[in-house]
Amino acid sequence: MFSDTDYSTTVWSHFRAPKNAGEFHAGTPGVLSGTAGTRKHGRVVAFHLQVMADGRVADCRYRVYGCPATIALCSLTSEILKGGPLAAAAAYSVVALAEQLGLPAEKRAAAITIEDAIRNAAGRYNSHLRSTQASTEFTREL
Amino acid sequence: MKQKIIYLDYAATTPVDPRVAEKMCQCLTCEGMFANPASAHAPGRAARGAVERARSQVAALVGAEAGEIIFTSGATESDNLAIKGVAHFYQQKGRHLITSRIEHKAVLDTCKQLERDGFQVTWLKPDVDGLIQPSMVEQALRPDTVLVSIMHVNNEIGTINDIAAIGRITRAKGVYLHVDAAQSAGKLPIDLKDLHVDLMSFSGHKLYGPKGIGALYVRSQPRVQLDPLMHVGGHEHGLRSGTLATHQIVGMGEAFELARQELANEAPQLSALRDELWRALHAAIPEAVVNGHPTQRVCGILNVAFPGIEGESLLFACGALAVSSGSACTSADREPSFVLRALGRDDQLAGSSIRFSIGRFTTAAEVEAAVRIVGEEYHRLLDLAPAG
Repeated sequence: MFSDTDYSTTVWSHFRAPKNAGEFHAGTPGVLSGTAGTRKHGRVVAFHLQVMADGRVADCRYRVYGCPATIALCSLTSEILKGGPLAAAAAYSVVALAEQLGLPAEKRAAAITIEDAIRNAAGRYNSHLRSTQASTEFTREL
Repeated sequence: MKQKIIYLDYAATTPVDPRVAEKMCQCLTCEGMFANPASAHAPGRAARGAVERARSQVAALVGAEAGEIIFTSGATESDNLAIKGVAHFYQQKGRHLITSRIEHKAVLDTCKQLERDGFQVTWLKPDVDGLIQPSMVEQALRPDTVLVSIMHVNNEIGTINDIAAIGRITRAKGVYLHVDAAQSAGKLPIDLKDLHVDLMSFSGHKLYGPKGIGALYVRSQPRVQLDPLMHVGGHEHGLRSGTLATHQIVGMGEAFELARQELANEAPQLSALRDELWRALHAAIPEAVVNGHPTQRVCGILNVAFPGIEGESLLFACGALAVSSGSACTSADREPSFVLRALGRDDQLAGSSIRFSIGRFTTAAEVEAAVRIVGEEYHRLLDLAPAG
């Protein structure tokens, strides 16, 4: 069991008050969603990216079941990805972020789960684009 | 400003009662009973007198004779001395032991070591309520069984085993019975005159005494023989060598004396407080479930599983509470409590379980505040989690 001294002030504050938690309202255009992890293994992450027509991530939301490090990493990652290109989001290394934050090596699996959820969401971009080409609203947003 | 912590981890350890600390301080300095109790001179005799008084105090709480109490460094050493002591002394008679899967680590690891040394151990699985039924012990007995080691009260879930019934079975078969009573002494009435228990382990610091001191009850009639763990000095009837720590022993004696005086009043009060804790928790979180038998439990321990959220997060979110968790989220493979897993709890429920243990200095206001904190944080974390 970790003690609270194993977590930095940044991790601690994002765990206590996570930013961007939740989901987009139903019908919000341009939302790509991806999930990863299982409760059996101690963490589940559902990440939602709102992608604009220029391929930029306008906003992020997530839901997370997991340890304090998992929650804090979701919060921090959501802040970092906002405003950047979708390709950068898909390539973003949450593992490196965890290392920068001084999280114990045992928490690497939490970072990988978040990366998987984000890549699963980003991976839906092309298929969503194709399937919604007829949808005026979605293509206008994208 | 430093956050005020609500201490609800009395099953892990208790603060020393100020009355105990006062007695201990009288054994440390020049003016007090600092001398070696083995010395023949007057200060030594005074210290020895204090040690023997403490021995009588410990014995009195559990209905034993003073001469049947051996002081050790704690319940861990008592468990080691009892189990290894019997196993080695009686190995010509048999090399089979019986214990349960939910014993304290001090018993589990001692029995595992004996397995490595060539002994055979039967590991009983508790029923769904966390109890070791006497019939389970009876069915596991073999002609070569020499010792059964079953805890009185489980340290994680607080369930009470029927050691009277187990003792009747072992005595009838001529098998020795060791009971770890670290969590029951001073919380449940124990009268060793009426129990067929041959060896019983006690801890000082679980009962408002100091850390670093414990005792082992070794029945004199019929006599139980033990191989000692250490071989020098001949203290404590040759079973536990080393200069006696007068201040620790006096502290344990005083703590047991206070427990004897206050048990009848304290246990019902703690039971009422524990019941209020559960009532309020369940009202705030209807999904919560109690781990272990609903009624056959010791007064101070309540172990609760919180479905739908992750255990380490709940524990950290409730940072204002000093409580124990059933899990250790230290790696990709979580390590839920072996006790809760043995009860059949799945990884999620075992991992999100919290042991609340209340004690002599717990107040109703602290219980109320604890419920508010757990309730708020549980719902916050549940709102964060994805469905399913």
